[in-house]
Amino acid sequence: MNRFIKSLLLPASLTLLSTIASADKLMLPPGMGGVPDIGAIPCDVFNKMIVVGPLGTKRLLLTWAEGYYHAKTGKTFDEILQDAETAGQSWDFDSLTGHFVDYCAADPEAHTAAAVVDLGERLLNISR
Amino acid sequence: MKAAVAKNNTGKSKLWKPPIVGIVAFLLMLFAIALGHTFMVLVEHWIGQDDIYVASIFIGAASIVLLWYGVKSRNENFQTWVGFIAGLMVWMTWIEFFYMFYGRMNWGMVPRMDGPDGLRVSGTYPEYMVMGATVGLLMMMLVFYTFDKDTRCNMFLWFQKVLGLREGLGPSTKKASDRNYAIITFMETILVLWFCYTVNLLCFDPGLVGTGDLFFAVNMATVFVSFVWSGYCFFARLIWFRRVSTALRYAIAVGNIFWMGIVEVGTKWRLWTEIWVQPWNYKIEMSVVLGAFLVLILLLIFAPKKPSELGMERQS
Repeated sequence: MNRFIKSLLLPASLTLLSTIASADKLMLPPGMGGVPDIGAIPCDVFNKMIVVGPLGTKRLLLTWAEGYYHAKTGKTFDEILQDAETAGQSWDFDSLTGHFVDYCAADPEAHTAAAVVDLGERLLNISR
Repeated sequence: MKAAVAKNNTGKSKLWKPPIVGIVAFLLMLFAIALGHTFMVLVEHWIGQDDIYVASIFIGAASIVLLWYGVKSRNENFQTWVGFIAGLMVWMTWIEFFYMFYGRMNWGMVPRMDGPDGLRVSGTYPEYMVMGATVGLLMMMLVFYTFDKDTRCNMFLWFQKVLGLREGLGPSTKKASDRNYAIITFMETILVLWFCYTVNLLCFDPGLVGTGDLFFAVNMATVFVSFVWSGYCFFARLIWFRRVSTALRYAIAVGNIFWMGIVEVGTKWRLWTEIWVQPWNYKIEMSVVLGAFLVLILLLIFAPKKPSELGMERQS
């Protein structure tokens, strides 16, 4: 019995390892072009993500927003914030991401892109 | 109390004989796991995410103080209960809440998303992604117990037999009276929970098993293994126990293996609703579970004990 079990152990372990190695590649959702489409996240999903990943979810959206603002203005986010400060607006991580959180909480039907655009209207008008 | 129980311990109880002791211990364990989930959710909800991390430091420390009392005791039954409760509390606070702090707050991880368009928050929260990464550490601990000649765990003894280690390791240097069941039960609770969580996390991980046929096959295998494993342990061993303390320690493993393969996989496949993590939506149901759990605890506390469980033989 023992010999039988021992003779099975090695093949069973190798089979298990090979099945793990040949696991399906993690499929990306269709239409995302290889990376997750942060701006397409509905606000009601964002509201749930915030609960279990508060810091990471905020950081994710702010990083996405920085790219969006850079594409719109050609300025880095630090430059945009500096312009805002010159105009008397003071922003930090909490107030910037808090804007997204409040926007999405108020309108769960919207997309996170809309929250980014809404913040942009405050920031970019000064910076242009 | 000890005298009263000893007086009651005639060995002629019509109720406390196999299979009642084992069945009660098994049911108690299933309710304990469900209520452990409920406790986590409620504590997080009541205390708030920011404060729970600080509170968990002290709840964990209080559990170690409780364990200290257990280790000092010579009563095996008391040691077993204390080891189990302290293990459960330390797992929830120093492990789960600390992982939660690192994953959610310190490292800024986002939850794993699933669903056809990747826009559904899956149950794999940041703390579980951190936990999945501890698999190597867990394996190292399992290696230690596999090569430990003093272990009395049937699974590791079986490993030792299959690997032909018995002769090399030699006879155990410890007798039953040398063992402190508080720390043994404490470590057993933590390792069983750690093992079961890790198996589930690896089997649910789309980066390892994808989301298609392999995912299905691996999880079907988990259901099969845990059904056979827990079924064998339950029918071949647990229901034949007469000693409450032994049954309780054995039920920790049997209950968790059953939960890992049947309840968790079934939940993943959406076969039923996890009412234990939504207590505010299922107040009556969870109150019934809590009531049943308390009744089972009382039953086990007042069940007749053998003198060896109460430390009478050990003191002499």
